[in-house]
Amino acid sequence: MTTTAGPHQHASADDPRVMLDDQIGAFEPIPPYPPRTEREAEFYTLGDGEMFLNMGPQHPSTHGVLRVVLKLDGEKVVDLDPVLGYLHRGVEKLCENADYHQVISQVDPLEYISSLFCEWSPVMAFEKLLDVEVPRRAEYIRVLSGELNRIASHALFMGWFALDLGGLTPILWSFIERDEIVEMLAALTGQRMLFNYFRIGGVNGDLNHDFMSRLGDWMSRATGQIESNLTLLNENEIFVRRARGLGVIDTETALSMCMSGPNLRATGSPFDVRRAHPYSIYPELDFDIPTRSEGDSLARYLLRMEEIKQSLRIIDQCLHQMPDSPIMAKLPRLLRPRPGRAYAAIEGPRGQYATYAISDGTDQPFRMRIHDPSFIHLQSVGLLMKNNLIADTMAVMASLDPVMGGVDK
Amino acid sequence: MDRALKARLQARFGDIASGPIRQRHDETELRIPAGAAPDVLRALHDEPEFGFLMLSDLAGVDTGDHMQVVYHLWSETTSDWLRVVADRIPRDDPRTPSITFLWKGAEWMEREAYDMFGIVFEGNRDLRRIYMPPDYTSFPLRKDFFLPDDAARSPGGGVRHMERSHAPQGAPAGTIRRVKA
Repeated sequence: MTTTAGPHQHASADDPRVMLDDQIGAFEPIPPYPPRTEREAEFYTLGDGEMFLNMGPQHPSTHGVLRVVLKLDGEKVVDLDPVLGYLHRGVEKLCENADYHQVISQVDPLEYISSLFCEWSPVMAFEKLLDVEVPRRAEYIRVLSGELNRIASHALFMGWFALDLGGLTPILWSFIERDEIVEMLAALTGQRMLFNYFRIGGVNGDLNHDFMSRLGDWMSRATGQIESNLTLLNENEIFVRRARGLGVIDTETALSMCMSGPNLRATGSPFDVRRAHPYSIYPELDFDIPTRSEGDSLARYLLRMEEIKQSLRIIDQCLHQMPDSPIMAKLPRLLRPRPGRAYAAIEGPRGQYATYAISDGTDQPFRMRIHDPSFIHLQSVGLLMKNNLIADTMAVMASLDPVMGGVDK
Repeated sequence: MDRALKARLQARFGDIASGPIRQRHDETELRIPAGAAPDVLRALHDEPEFGFLMLSDLAGVDTGDHMQVVYHLWSETTSDWLRVVADRIPRDDPRTPSITFLWKGAEWMEREAYDMFGIVFEGNRDLRRIYMPPDYTSFPLRKDFFLPDDAARSPGGGVRHMERSHAPQGAPAGTIRRVKA
């Protein structure tokens, strides 16, 4: 871009020409410093006929603020380097400076699509530190609302995935589903997205009439509605042929990449924390862990859709078995757990969410480590994308379903 | 609590372990010197009687006196989470071997621990900062990094939790929060 006046003559931030020149400089993909690591040196050395393409951080399909530097050979992606940190809040540090109750609202916005799961693992870790037993009704309410949130998350996944493959309708349809669930959870928790609902030792509020009537209404037609949504994609030849065989990974590689959740189960491994390391009331519930063996994007999509059906089964059982008991354990306002360490992991819609908490006997956690599956899955994108086309980058990334709030913490 | 796992770990790693094997709730904790981490983790991963194929989490910890790297592992041979604590990494020059040769996916978690604590993982091919900008020089999760919060040092500090610094009031300068972990 040539400008009549050079940027240095008019160094005003308001001058659009200056901004444009600056922007081009700022997004130069090659770092202006010598490579710091072996991998960086390898990545930023161009082979014959290769070029760099910068994608993001304001790219519409990076699912948040993610920057990816692509190394291309023609239209083929040779390698890629994700650059993170645009949403980094330092939530672990904030949690170490907040008291145990305040942590819950700090971790809420991590995976803003499935906030209940972000609250669940810290709350479980603190309960272990405090040796608190959660009342059974509270556990049932947690599972019930959590599974609803899982369906909302998977429904949104379906829409976004199709959108990244070029289909416009599914996102509109999936938002119908998600909106009903979100409104339902708003009736239960008071919030549409960042619920701040779980408490150490229970949940914030009991089931109410508004929630139950909405839930009953939705449950009576959910199965049919979801089935009809699925026909839109499952029988769409363009979608199926595009997603099949895209971004294939096998179980051994997936385990070495520390993957979990639907992305791991799509390779054939039946690992699901709800069954592999049972928590809450899941051992009492009857549900299946769907697996698929293909390990490609289509398998990851179909597996999530299968999980929606299993979640509906769980919700149905929760409603039938809901016991009567208090919803909060008796705990003092100010929590001072004995010094110790606790680790709690749960199965979220994206994989294993975990918290490692260290208490030093004060009212603030000494160390709180949050393990987020999106972060883990995003690092395999490079592996899955080798020798695929640029247009498929976002499709593969969407099939792993990362949420940037969780990736950047 | 899986007592059998404790016995098996004691028999296999009793001479390497730098502390007693502790158990609480559904967790078993094995404490080792940081240099032994690759051998111990390789044994846990490869030997069929352990079969810890899944690295659930890798976390850096600053206890105020020294650094730790904490690995959480899952195996179908036990009902416990196994926590392996690579202990006593000096704070002034924290170095520990990388385990990316076992789990390639540990690469980003090690990058995160490096970014937040400055722990250098020897053998990690890509030990760059991951969240903070490349020209950043501090390590934010270290205990001597206080939140840049003026309120923490105000006369009202200590009244509300969020406004309190880690150092107890009246403590000499440089006092940081410590834990025996």
